[in-house]
Amino acid sequence: MFKYTVKRLLQSVLTVLIIVTIVFLCMRALPTDFFFTEDQMMKLDDQQKEDILAKAGLLDPIPTQLFRYYGQVLSGDFGTSRRIQNGTSVLEIIGGKFTISMRLGLTSMAISLTLGILLGVLQARQKDRLMDHVGTVYTVFVNSVPPLVSYSLVLVFGSRVLGLPSLYSNKNIGMSSILPVVCLALTSIAHYALWTRRYMVDESTKDYIKLARIKGMSTQSIMVKHILKNAFVPLVQYIPASIILTFGGTLLVERFFSVPGMGTLMVDAIQRYDTEVVQTCVMIYAFLGIIGVFLGDLAMTLFDPRIKLAGGGETR
Amino acid sequence: MSKLNQDELFRVVEYSADAAERIGYSNYSYWRSVWQNFLKKKSAVFMALVFIVLVVFSFIALRIGNYPNYAELVSSPTETFLTPNSQYWFGTDNIGRDYWCQVWFSAQVSIKLALVVAIGEAIVGVIIGCLWGYVRWLDRPLTELYNIINNIPTVIYLTLVAMIVGQSFTIMAVSIIATHWLVMARNVRNLVLMYRDREYNLASRCLGTPVWRVLSKNIFPYLISVVILRLALSIPGTISLESTLSYLGLGLGFETPSLGLLLRNARNFFLVYPHLLVFPAVIVSLITVTFYLVGNAVSDAADPRNHV
Repeated sequence: MFKYTVKRLLQSVLTVLIIVTIVFLCMRALPTDFFFTEDQMMKLDDQQKEDILAKAGLLDPIPTQLFRYYGQVLSGDFGTSRRIQNGTSVLEIIGGKFTISMRLGLTSMAISLTLGILLGVLQARQKDRLMDHVGTVYTVFVNSVPPLVSYSLVLVFGSRVLGLPSLYSNKNIGMSSILPVVCLALTSIAHYALWTRRYMVDESTKDYIKLARIKGMSTQSIMVKHILKNAFVPLVQYIPASIILTFGGTLLVERFFSVPGMGTLMVDAIQRYDTEVVQTCVMIYAFLGIIGVFLGDLAMTLFDPRIKLAGGGETR
Repeated sequence: MSKLNQDELFRVVEYSADAAERIGYSNYSYWRSVWQNFLKKKSAVFMALVFIVLVVFSFIALRIGNYPNYAELVSSPTETFLTPNSQYWFGTDNIGRDYWCQVWFSAQVSIKLALVVAIGEAIVGVIIGCLWGYVRWLDRPLTELYNIINNIPTVIYLTLVAMIVGQSFTIMAVSIIATHWLVMARNVRNLVLMYRDREYNLASRCLGTPVWRVLSKNIFPYLISVVILRLALSIPGTISLESTLSYLGLGLGFETPSLGLLLRNARNFFLVYPHLLVFPAVIVSLITVTFYLVGNAVSDAADPRNHV
């Protein structure tokens, strides 16, 4: 187990390294004009621009820049922002936005896990009856209607009928977080309901369920003790990843409700040539993704002792 | 007897498709069965009709409206935020432009983009997926490539493309295809891997069937239903992605209106003037929902395991 973990960790470090390098190169492919504000673009002449770029080290050969960046990261310095908040260290900016995204994300995850699995269980119990159809209509709606449209509907309903604030504000975090959280939960509830239902229906046709029924177990306890437990195993694999990924924030919800979170940070940073912010963001996303998958595998072995990670001769 | 040498005793038979088919299932046609299975589902047929009618109507709608072309739209400062009336059937927007024309035009743009992306994705994805699954030495490098591309958020690519190359319909279509073929290729690869070494394919290979024929006749029919399911998901997916990107200002340029741009303009007004939200939302949702349901039904019908 230990050997396996170390091996996987090393592999992930390599993956992150490659990803960061690719993003670094992509960022350098942008025209340097984006480095300046519109104001600066007009006022400065070419020589002054050259000087500023040279001072920031952006005119050095790309490999030099790349290795300088590696060295910087290894010594724990992720650089400072230039355009988002001039002179503030990247970690500080990200730290502030991270908490906002995390708070929204965790709340919506808690809601959607409870409601989603509940809905899935209800659907599986009442297969091909009213509740099942209601759930199916809901999942089809969420899967096919563009999120922009469904968020707009939530917004109209929330602010016209319930009178909730339509934009996020730091002064009234509780109330103004309700609509973003609902929008975030909307899609993941459908996701969990869909998979819970599917795995439970698959499980309920197996032979041991028939045996349990013959023994005279009540439907209630078969559902909870056998079907749900077994159906939960394939589901549990994805839960850590989706919890962790919520820390990264979501672009559309945050832009739609003007939440100052992680999701919008990266796009802003790319558009303003704030290279060190972008690189750090990408690194964080990649690490979160990798950790999420790893924790998912771990969770699966916890819930189902028959699954072993380090087992040799695995076929992918 | 002994005078006959090897060449006279055995004769290499020319490969002929006719002879190979002769022992096959009599009178069975794959696509006819798909069609028959699909027709059995009345609700799906109805949905397909709704979808087709919508698409056709989106062309007619522009003709019968006041402005047949988006470029001819005029803004009039005196006629802002009109609710639907006999002259402006869907009302007007914040600078007094006809909303009917904008809504149908953007619906068309979305459908076109989604179809182009779906077809491109299917072609690239199936070809690379087949190679990925069938050619053993390609498995490792392609899997690594998949891991790397998959771990960089799509938004980064699309933002960079929008900034370096520019924003237009073609650029958007190409860059979405360039990231989305991965999912299709991965699905196809997993299936090819499953069917590649089945006994019937071993037998086929021993009989000297060429590789392309094994892929196209023995394996591809099993892929069709999965490919169609992916397409059914891909079209609503592309419409969603496009609207999200345009909303963020990273999608199509300002000269090509799309759902995202409409809602981006309307975001500040539709709480007061709901018609700015209702019309585009209803039309686009109808398109995506019907297509999603039809795609699911066709994919069920296309699964050869459900035939005969």
